[in-house]
Parts: sequence; structure tokens; C-alpha cells
Amino acid sequence: MKKFENFVYDIINSQRKKFLVIVLTAVAFFASLLMFPTKIVLAKMLPGKSANTYSVYIDTPTGSSIEQTKKVVNCVTGILQKEDEIKNMVLFNAQGIPLDYAGLVKGSSMKRTENVAEISVNLTDKHHREEPSFLMTQRLRPVVQQECSNIVPDTIIKFIEQPAGPPTLASIVVEVHGDNIPKSRELAIEVGNILGKTEGLVDVDVMADDIFEKYELIPNIDKIARSGLAIEQVNNILYLSFEGMVIATKNSEEHAEQIPIFLVLSDSTKRLSGGSVEHIRSKLSSLNLMNQQGMMVPLTEVVEIEKVESKPMIMHKDLKRMINVIAETDMVSQVYPLLDARDQMIKHFSREYNITKEGFSTYMFDLHLTDKKTGETFLLRWDGEMKVTLDTFRDLGAAFIAALVLIFFLLVIYYKSFTISGIILLGSFLSLIGVIVGHWVADLVTKETFFLTATSLIGFIALMGISSRNSLLLIDFSMALMKEHGMEKKKAIAVATATRAKPIMLTAVAIILGSALLASDPIFGGLGVALISGTVAAVFVSLLFIPVLMDNAREINGDKLDNTSIDQEHPHDISITR
Amino acid sequence: MAAKHSYEVKDVAGKLAKGFLKNPLTAVLGIVLLALGWISLTTMPREEDPQIAISGGAVIVAMPGATPKEVENIIVKPLERKLREVKGIEHIYGMAMENVGIVNVMYYIGENREDSNLKLYDKVMQNMDEMPKGVMQPLIKPFDIDIDVPILTLAFYQKENSTLSPQAYIKKLKDFQHKINAIDNVAKTTLQGAHKEQYNIQVDMGKLSAYHLSMGQIMQAVQSLAANVPDVKGRTRDEKLTIFGINNAIQTIEDVKNVMVANYMGSPVYLKDVAVVEDGIDIQNFQDADIIFRKDGDMENNLTEHKAQVTMTVAKLAGTNAVFVAQDVEKILEQYDSEFEKNGIGYIITRDYGERANEAVNELMSHLVITIIIISVMLVFALGWRESLIVTFTVPAILAITLFIAHMTGQTMNRITLFAFLLSLGLLVDAAIIVIENIHRHLHAHDVHEKEMDELLIEATDEVGAPTNIATLAIIMTMVPMAFVGGMMGSFMKPIPLNVPVALFASLIVAYIFTPYLSLKLLKKPSHSHKH
Repeated sequence: MKKFENFVYDIINSQRKKFLVIVLTAVAFFASLLMFPTKIVLAKMLPGKSANTYSVYIDTPTGSSIEQTKKVVNCVTGILQKEDEIKNMVLFNAQGIPLDYAGLVKGSSMKRTENVAEISVNLTDKHHREEPSFLMTQRLRPVVQQECSNIVPDTIIKFIEQPAGPPTLASIVVEVHGDNIPKSRELAIEVGNILGKTEGLVDVDVMADDIFEKYELIPNIDKIARSGLAIEQVNNILYLSFEGMVIATKNSEEHAEQIPIFLVLSDSTKRLSGGSVEHIRSKLSSLNLMNQQGMMVPLTEVVEIEKVESKPMIMHKDLKRMINVIAETDMVSQVYPLLDARDQMIKHFSREYNITKEGFSTYMFDLHLTDKKTGETFLLRWDGEMKVTLDTFRDLGAAFIAALVLIFFLLVIYYKSFTISGIILLGSFLSLIGVIVGHWVADLVTKETFFLTATSLIGFIALMGISSRNSLLLIDFSMALMKEHGMEKKKAIAVATATRAKPIMLTAVAIILGSALLASDPIFGGLGVALISGTVAAVFVSLLFIPVLMDNAREINGDKLDNTSIDQEHPHDISITR
Repeated sequence: MAAKHSYEVKDVAGKLAKGFLKNPLTAVLGIVLLALGWISLTTMPREEDPQIAISGGAVIVAMPGATPKEVENIIVKPLERKLREVKGIEHIYGMAMENVGIVNVMYYIGENREDSNLKLYDKVMQNMDEMPKGVMQPLIKPFDIDIDVPILTLAFYQKENSTLSPQAYIKKLKDFQHKINAIDNVAKTTLQGAHKEQYNIQVDMGKLSAYHLSMGQIMQAVQSLAANVPDVKGRTRDEKLTIFGINNAIQTIEDVKNVMVANYMGSPVYLKDVAVVEDGIDIQNFQDADIIFRKDGDMENNLTEHKAQVTMTVAKLAGTNAVFVAQDVEKILEQYDSEFEKNGIGYIITRDYGERANEAVNELMSHLVITIIIISVMLVFALGWRESLIVTFTVPAILAITLFIAHMTGQTMNRITLFAFLLSLGLLVDAAIIVIENIHRHLHAHDVHEKEMDELLIEATDEVGAPTNIATLAIIMTMVPMAFVGGMMGSFMKPIPLNVPVALFASLIVAYIFTPYLSLKLLKKPSHSHKH
């Protein structure tokens, strides 16, 4: 204790050493801040978490049959069957798996069509498994996609992880807003291509219906009228024959539900021998309709068959036409691929469009495109996890500033001095050094990238309070020494620092030990690391940097305490009793 | 310096210490707190993730035969404009497809779910008069996470030896589903991938033209027999009622087969002559489901068993204990075991959020205990075992208070709540450490023999009271703004700003009440006097 007391006394007695402490602190602070632009420490909202399950979403192109989709599903399960750590796989054709948090926002409950399938993959318990689920999907994704996405061309196979935090549609969502539908489609496809080429992005999907060929039966009104038929009749019979209809129901006392009576052409007789106009015509020619006179009229007599393109779905968001392009990140933060892809887009689109960038907001990555020839405007809006991240960081930032202001006011009320409050605040702000350096170290020692996440920010905010407590106890104690024992200022600071070092260390060790188990958690690891490293930094700051500042501050002296905490009525009682 | 006169208490810390130091009820209070904490720990609903109030819904309007552009103009655009008038909606997503338009609305996170659903209904119903012609009745489907996200899924499959027909199999599962629905707090159950019983008439196209028949004729022939009519009241001459009614002509599948469709060359043509008629399942439903698993669930076996399956999903009511619901379902499942076995029905639990929640909570609980032990061991070295024991006691007391308050305010025990506890653990021993350290310092000071023990304790507590209050208040203040963070992340993190301040506040109270009290019981003045 005595040694440390002398050490502190030594520092605050020498002008040069004091200066050195301040310079070193400033250097450490700016050096740690520099770790962001140099990408030594990467930021992300929430990291992946190892789970006991993941899902595979399979989307064959719009208009594919259930049989085609099942072929892809078989291919995927064929590969997954070789995995040792899979307990079972549950396959759902033409529908989503029972809703989970990921599916909730990814529209899995809306799936009804023949071209979709979902597989839920259940793994062995994560505690006994070497490979975390996110590494498993990362390993399997390229294999599965290469083998199975060509069975039906343009099939998209996505590996969906359970979200660690709140679910989002996708890591990266680019909304292509524009009124001109064909042109938006083109833009969306180009955006999809750029995202596909960007390193670190996987599972790129342009969320628009594929255009496929279909046939339209155009009723010949003249002929229909002359043969004594009605268009409605033609429609109904056609639907009845090929799709089938429930034409009646039977009530039953033995059954919980009504039994429908379903009428359709038998599968063998309705199956077309090919997909061309001729095949359809030959099939329809044997389908007869009965007219009012009771005579049979072949269907082909009254309709023309024409080949047309399917009309894709039109999407709106907030009353504007829009096409979504989504992509997932492959074990990297979404920030950096996003910036890469955005640069590529600016380069790519600037040939045909004038580009203006969005101002400073949580939509700050948006690009406004104006066609150089026609003057039509389009908007590329970045949404998804990125938007949520920006919103969260903005809100947490605001919460942080609010916390700063609140602490400052509290201190000003307590000490009746801006300088002392400022010192404490500055001291607690410096724990940021520890937080950033801590993440860098954590990144070095872990196999995967260790991101600075939203929970790290929460940890930092909590640290503010902790380190201000250290400084507070220090200042309070040295002022009491000066007043009650009439100690000289420098001596008092040194003694106070040495005496308070023990409880400061103790509480710091308590926090470090308390957070040690936190640090191993995927989600709250950021918080744990922030607390551990931030506390270490806070101890150094409050035991070395704060005494220096205290010595320089004229407000800290014996008289000051006289008119504050001790002799006054009970100014701080308000704080606790209310 | 300090003479024999009694110490004047300046801070609320000293007042609390003084008030409880000699009070016999202090021990009772401690026990009651721990008991309340224990009760909360065992009865609080457990979940894996905290509940996020996501409200929203979909309005689905069908318009047969319309192209996407028509749907956009006639249905989607007017509907979007109307829904725009509703307050609290963050985004509106419109989808115009062939034959149908869907408008999804997402409310801001944290909007009241019931209100939001009502507002959506209200807005659509108010504007029913503006519905275009030829459009079918709109369907309004609100999202309900608690009801929509099942906590338990069971995959049922028929084993090789099963002799049940598809219909009988489904009926067995439906009976079972009914039993599950009767369990307390079970909300929605569904059978995914299940097929319904149906009479199928599959007409042979070739025979149809051979007999000169059309599909329309067959339809009419069946419909004319499958009508249900209520009974008729006939009155007799002596004013009595005689009830008679027409029985449904179709009673069994045989009746369908024998429907006479036409007369051909003088002889009747029955339905069975032109079509395959069978009592089967809904063949038009292509939403089937399979499961691939290892035989007997043994990891040694290959992942090759491939079976068609029906998944039963079980959701729970909001705010109820996922663990209990899952356990109850498993109990019923055990009762049915022999019956399933007899009928050759196998099942695999493919999702159990109850178990996951329990596991997550228990894992974190053990983390908490380990951390407390580590800290107390550290304190043994730094302060001595008696002091360490005192600090270690304060931790469960603080957590008990926090847990009890969380329980009372309707929170659930989830990962984030426990992380809030872990986070506050490092902070909440601080107050006790500071107090005990100061008591320790006073006990080893040179003037220790001049003071009475209880006075010394009160003084030691009171002395650090003011800065500790301010410092703890500072930490509480850093947490409070976090409660106002919006969006998904804000809701997700909400247990932290809700519980950490409570824990910190409790840590102050406990430190001031119990630390001096326990010190009086456990600590003694050192027998040898310090030299100065």
C-alpha cells in the first residue's frame, strides 16, 4: 500500500510525469478508436449462435411442379443424410415448417404453392457437438447448392439459422422501388447479380415471381353462343376436369368432419403427353361439353389456345411498388459486404442513371437513381438487419448520451462543481479504450470473428456507471482526508488512491469474474468482454489518470467538501429515499 | 479523535443500519426474502426468448380471374390507402397476384396486440361498402406469435406393421389432438401434413366420351343425391305432429358408386362404370410431409428411415410456462404409448421449446451459482472468510428481491432476464463489498477499542453511504435510458433495463441492512491491538 501511495505521489509531484500520463492516455484512446476504420475490430448487431436446429428453404422457380420440387428436396436430404450430427430431418412440401422465429418474418407461414419446400434439420445437443450449427451450415451450403440447384434450373436453396436475437427478413435487404415494373425487375436482377458477386454474401434471392410460359384458352364468343354453351360453363368444366372440385359433402355421425365428395378426371387420363400447344389441343379435344340441346361439343371447338407469359406478382411497400432482393451474410458482419456491394452498384448503375445519395439518417445507404434518358426515378433502399442495426445503434447511442447527461447532472448536484463532474465523466468515458482493445484481443484468441455488437454497447453503457463509481469514491475520500485530517492536497490524493485501491480492485475483480462466464456466450460475449476489459481499463484510469486530473483541478480541496456533502442537511438523501 | 460520544448518523445508509442492527425481525426478513425468491424461481413462467409484442395481420381478398394489375388497382391500392388511416402501423406490404390480393400490415413493435387486431378489423369492416363487385369476402388474419409459434412439435408416422387405413390413422391423431387441446394453457394445435378423409371420384376421360357423357352431367347426378334437408312436420287430423324427413341418399361410398349417371342404349350407366370411386384421402392436397430419422433414434444407425409423417404442433397461451405445458403434453403422450404401439404409430419429438427454455434457464442458473462461488472465494482471500460469507449471503437476497419483483410485474424468466442478473451480479456485490471493506478497515483501525461494536458498524456503513448511493444511482441512470430503445432490439433487451436497476437498488438496501447485521453476528474486534 505504501509503495503504491508513493508511486502515485511521485507522479502527481512531477509535472513531466503528469504530462506523460495524460499523453499516454490520449494516445491509447485514439489508437483504440482507430481500430474501427482499419477494420481491426468489426461491428455487427448480433453474432450467430449455435443451435440444435436449422432449416433449409427450397424455392424452385415459380410454376414448377411439386414433383420437381421433391426431386430437389431428395437431393438435399441425400447430402444431409451423410452427416453424423443430424438426429432427424422433417420435410414439408408445398408449405412451411411449423412456424419458428425465423419463419415468422420470412413469410414461411404464407407458403402454399407447389414450388416451395422447407426442411427442418434437428441436430444433436450443442453441448456434446464439436461443430457449431453456423459452421455446419457454412460448410454444407456450397456443397448443397452446387449439387442440387441445377436439378431444376434457377432453384434457390437457403440455409436458415435460428436468429440469436430478434428475427429479420434477411441480413441484407435491398428494396428496389420504382413504378416501372419491367425496369424495376431488371434493376432488381442486376442488384441480385452484384450481391451474388460480393464476397461474404450468400443465399442471394430476388424476391419476385419468375416469368414462365403458360397457355391461355381464349373463348371464341361467337362459337360458344352458337353451340348453346356459356362461358361460365366452359370455365367450370375445365377447372373440374383438371383441378377437380368438391361437388358435394356428406355429413356423418361417425366422423368429426364432413366428408367432401371430390370429382376430377383420373390422373392417368388427364396427364398431358407434353407441354406444347398440340399436346394441349389433343387432350382438350376429347373433353366434351353438353349444350342446352343435349349435344356434345368438344372443348377445342370453342376455344383458341395461345401461348403467353405469366404475369408476376406486384409487391408494394408503404403504397409504393417495390421488389425485394435479399442476401444472407456468411459468418461476416453485414456492414462490410454492404459497403462493397454499394460501391459496386454506384459504379455499375452510374452509366445509365444519375445517382444521388441519401443524407444522414438510418436510411443513409440508400441510392436514388434517375434514368438519364427517360427521367424515371428508382430508389435502392437498404433494409433488413442492417437497418435494424443502425436503428438500434442510434437508439443505444442516444441512450448512452442520455446516460451521460443524467450522470453529469447527478454529479453536479452532488458536488456542485462542473469540473469535478467533468473529471469523473471523462474518466468513465475512457473505459472505451478497454472495450475496444478487449474486442481486439477476444478476436485474436477466438477462432471465429469476434464482433463488436449491440450487447458490447450495453456493456459499455453499464461501465460508465461502474467507473464513475470508482472516481467518485476516490474524490470523496481524498476530500474527506483533506478536511478531517487537514492533509495537504497531493498527499491526500496519494493516500486516498492507495486506500481506495483495494475496494476498487475488489469490485473490479468481482465484475471480471462475474462477466467471465458471460464472455463465452455467443450473444452476450460482447457484453462480457466489454465489461471485463472495460473494467481493467477503468481501474487503470481511476488509479492513475484521475489522480492526475484531481491534482490539477482547483475545485478539489478541503473547503469544497465543507459546503457539500458532510455539513449540509442531507442533499443526497433525495437520491435514495425519494 | 473520535471520543466516546455517540456517532451522529448522516445518511440513509446509517439509518437503515441502525434501525435493523438490533431488530429481531431482521433475520425473519432475510428468510422471507429468500423464500419469496425461491417461490418465484420455481413458479415463474420460463421461456427461451423474451416476448416481443409484434402485432400485425394480413387482409386477403380473392378475386377469381383477375390479373395482378387488375388486383393491384381494384383491391390492393384502395385497401392500402384505407389501412394507411390506422394509427400505429409501421409498414404496409401489398401483394397483387393472379386471382388474389394480400395486404400485410406490421405495427410498430410494442403496440398492444388486441387493440391492433381490433383496429385492423374495424378499418376493413367500416369500408365493406366500398368493396368492388365480383370480389369475395375479405379474410382478416391477425398474426399472433404466441399462438402461431408452436412450442412443441411431434412427428407421427406409421410403422411397417401398422394396419390402420389412412382415414383411421387420421382419426386416431384427431382424437389425440383433442386430448392435447384439453390441457391447461394449450392454445392452438394443428396437424400439419395431414390429409382429410374424402370420397374421390376419378373419371376416366376415355369412357366419358365412349358413353357420350360430360363432366357436368356427372356433377349434377351426384349433387342431386347429396342434399341434406331438415325434417318436415306433418300434422295429423287429430292435431298431432308426425315428423318425417328425407334421409341423405348418400350414406356410404357404395351409394356414390351406384349413382346412375345416364341411360345409354336403354341400360343405366352407373358412376362406377365410368370412374374409380373410392373412400380415400384428399388427393388434391399436395402439402404432405416426410421425416427422415435414425432407427430407434440411435445415433449409431444410419439416417435412412424415410416415412410420411403428420406433425402435430402445440402452442401455448401468452405468459404461461412453456416447460409445464411441454411436460403435460408428454404425460398425455405416455398414456397413449401403448395404444400407439398397438396401432403401429410411431412418433418423434421434433421441437421442444419447453426443454430448451428449461435448459437455457438452468444453464444460466448454474453460471450464476458458479460466479457467486468464485466471487466468494476471492473475497475469502481479500477480506477473510467471515466477511466473504456476509457478502455471499447478500447476493441470493438481492436476486430473490429482484426475481420476486420481476415475477410480480408479470415478466417471464428467459435468457435475457438471466443475463440481466449475470450482468448485475458484478455490480450488486459492490455495495456490500464497499460496506464490508469499510467495516473491515474500521475494525483494524488503531482507535477500534474506543468504540462500541454496533456504533462502529453504523459509522462504517454510514461513512460510505453517500458516495455509494450516488455511484449506484449513476449506474441505475445509465440503465434507465436503455428502456426507451425502440424496435425489435429494444423489446428484446427490455429485461436488462427493467431488472438491473431493481437489482442495484435492492443491493443498496440489502448492503445497508444485512451487512452490518451479519457483521455484528459474525465479526469480532481483533483481540490484539494495532500499533500506530
